[in-house]
Amino acid sequence: MNKHFVIAQKTGLMFRYDQNLPQDMGTWIQKQLQVASPALGIATSDAKVSEWPQNLQPDLSKRASMWRRYRALEKQRREGKNGQDTQAARQANRHENLMREIDEHKFVQRNVYGADQVKLRLTAFWANHFTIGNTFDTGQMIGHAIDEGILAKLNGSFADLLYGMTTHPGMLTYLDNVWSAGERSEQAKGCARKPNCQAGLNDNLGRELLELHTVSVAAGYTEEDIRAAANVLAGWGIDFQKELPEMLKRTGGTNHWNAYKKRWAEPGSKKVMGQRIYAGRSGLRQLTDFLANHDATIHHISTKLCQHFVSDSPTEDQIEAVKSVWRQSDGSLQLIHTKVFALAIEAPEAKLMWPMTWLFQVVRLSGATYFKGWETINDYDDDLMSTKRVFKELGQSFWSLRQPNGYSDNKAEWMSAEMFERRIRFAQSIHKNGKPRQSVGQIMDRIGAAQQTRALVASAGTSPEDQFITLMCSPELMGLEYV
Amino acid sequence: MSKLTVGRRHVLKAGAASLFLAGMPITGFTKTKPPGTISVIILEGGMDGLAVIPPIGDPDLMKIRRAVTPASYLPLNEFFGLHPALKFYAQLMANGHASAVHATAFPYTKRSHFEGQNLIEGGGLSPFSEKTGWLGRALDLSDVAGRSLSLDMPLILRGHHENDNFYPASIRGSRRPNAQLLNIIAMGHQMDAAQLFTKVARKSEANVQVPRDPASLAKYAGRAMAQAEGPVASVIRVGGFDSHASQTEDGDTDAGQLAQQLTVVDDVIAGYRRGLGDAWDDAIILTLTEFGRTVAVNGTKGTDHGYASVGLLAGGALSGSGVIADWPGLSKKDQFEKRDLMATIDYRSVCAACVEKSLGLDHDVIAKEIFYQPDLPRIYDHLFT
Repeated sequence: MNKHFVIAQKTGLMFRYDQNLPQDMGTWIQKQLQVASPALGIATSDAKVSEWPQNLQPDLSKRASMWRRYRALEKQRREGKNGQDTQAARQANRHENLMREIDEHKFVQRNVYGADQVKLRLTAFWANHFTIGNTFDTGQMIGHAIDEGILAKLNGSFADLLYGMTTHPGMLTYLDNVWSAGERSEQAKGCARKPNCQAGLNDNLGRELLELHTVSVAAGYTEEDIRAAANVLAGWGIDFQKELPEMLKRTGGTNHWNAYKKRWAEPGSKKVMGQRIYAGRSGLRQLTDFLANHDATIHHISTKLCQHFVSDSPTEDQIEAVKSVWRQSDGSLQLIHTKVFALAIEAPEAKLMWPMTWLFQVVRLSGATYFKGWETINDYDDDLMSTKRVFKELGQSFWSLRQPNGYSDNKAEWMSAEMFERRIRFAQSIHKNGKPRQSVGQIMDRIGAAQQTRALVASAGTSPEDQFITLMCSPELMGLEYV
Repeated sequence: MSKLTVGRRHVLKAGAASLFLAGMPITGFTKTKPPGTISVIILEGGMDGLAVIPPIGDPDLMKIRRAVTPASYLPLNEFFGLHPALKFYAQLMANGHASAVHATAFPYTKRSHFEGQNLIEGGGLSPFSEKTGWLGRALDLSDVAGRSLSLDMPLILRGHHENDNFYPASIRGSRRPNAQLLNIIAMGHQMDAAQLFTKVARKSEANVQVPRDPASLAKYAGRAMAQAEGPVASVIRVGGFDSHASQTEDGDTDAGQLAQQLTVVDDVIAGYRRGLGDAWDDAIILTLTEFGRTVAVNGTKGTDHGYASVGLLAGGALSGSGVIADWPGLSKKDQFEKRDLMATIDYRSVCAACVEKSLGLDHDVIAKEIFYQPDLPRIYDHLFT
């Protein structure tokens, strides 16, 4: 492949079939990192690319009231009231009040049509780092966390990103923090006097904050550190079912993203990894800032970034280069990302693409229409599967239920017959049902396909479908080495 | 606090289980078929062994954990009881076809799911030290040339070059891929990737229908293993044991999250029993979990990450039932780091005994070449004679 496409494969999602190639790839990356970009998509399968409508991108308060409405109608359905116990009513309730499918559809369309491909790759990296598994209730919030917690924060510092994701209601719900009470909190004490009342510490988020999101186990923290971190977190977050006014009254926050229940908070200062953390709402920011700037965090995440974008086994020098930028810039994500991409461009080795990344690249290069428009998302289509189903079958989705350590950056985890079978099958399906606008020959000419790729495609015979499968599953397009 | 009943891990119960089969002998390749079969049920999240096999004879049990101890446990002997959700397992115990090992763990004390899961599958000396798994290495040593069928490739089975995974997708606009085309694509790839494409080609010719619920998966696995050319090993993964909240239900210690997950385990064992048929006589099934849970109950009616737990064994290859334990006690001074059940039996010894029985390997070879621990104690006689 020519240089443009080699770089776009490693750092982005490939140039769409009708996109002009930039003059300078370094400037192209910088421009995307610095500028805010809209969510693009299509309203119907034959519509022009345009910006996603505002009414399909509700804020947290709106999402919470939709969730509350959904639950109320579900209750009526179970009780057989108000005509809610019909299939049609149930479906209407899901379509009107649940965000999960709309959010995934938006994410996917943006990845297919977006002009901010480098940013979208970074968004995927961080959405995976701060995994929020779909436990159904979190399904209402994952899309918001990805858009507002990650994509909108890529120009800030890691410390801001960390604090925002730690306090996001999706994370606080996923890792049980909304129900955790400090060991000596008023809530725990009050509960102890009542029968059938239980309130106390849940260390789930405290543990993952240290282990996965920041310093990692290599830092050698203790169980007491985890407990202390959980006590700092106690009080943060509130059940998403609570209406905003009621919540405001109870927590003193302004929205679900800064709800802090004083009654549930642990009084007194805490000590996490030797650092004294003061009591009260501001203690958490103090803790996440301390962790964000900890050397073990810088090492852990620099290594992870290199593994994701640069090399399956990055060298000490490569990791050190990222760490050094991190330290000098006080964790400026824009500078850290710039360094990582510079290393990715320099490094000669190919990187096996994640299944979702590969799929977006195939659709963009070929100009296929493989996903429905936002207006027709709930309509049955003979050819196009629901977006939810596509990613379920592909075996990778940010809206799946999975463990908090997310998807692996380790190539070996993805080298399996099952995963390869799925690429073959999706290449076939995209060709047949997505009706690509570009022929295999046009794609190969545009990207400057290697001689080996051309020879491989030629050996597949004359069927356009077989040629398409062979090209998209060639080492060059998958990000693997040639024989 | 009613919201506690929809904690994160609850949803996992609906997430079904996944199955991996390995070591299917291919006619003409296999010299001798191993003496039995081995099946592993991985219980993800860290199972609370103290609630599954409650040590009712321990004077501290009810003082510390009444809220999470099932009131209607089935007494196994004067010291141990059995969780009432394990109904089929209880029958097996009565017939001498099931045993449990208590206060046991892999030598891992740091309480991280991901490190712990990696260690119990890798079976090395520390987490992330191994790229292969203990069962994969065991199959490799026992020289069962084989194929396998599974949903994704778990670490525990890696290490045997012929093991791989396969689970056909259902994608609109695509048929089963054409084997000839796959072989052409394979030729363009380097060795490792080429092998995978060749495997897809081979498998695409077999029409495979695999059920998705845990009990049917187990039955399917059992049936496959009962065939003369069937796999020698299988692995089923069941999630949902990370019972930080609502481990039991309000006012009913027999019900709740743990009880639900144990019902799944019970169904899986029953599924194996039905599927295996006569092959049950030579079968051994064992559970693996990354750690046990705290002795004390936490603030959200659950338990947090701990150390030792219990291992459940079933199969006709067992020669009697019992709870094997060197009981450490539950009082504060007996607890590991004043919070967890202490481990007095190395669970690698249990795994080693099961490998010895099912694959016919010598204990010293297993200890040295599979677990890299030449002085690993042999406890075979406690389980199989």
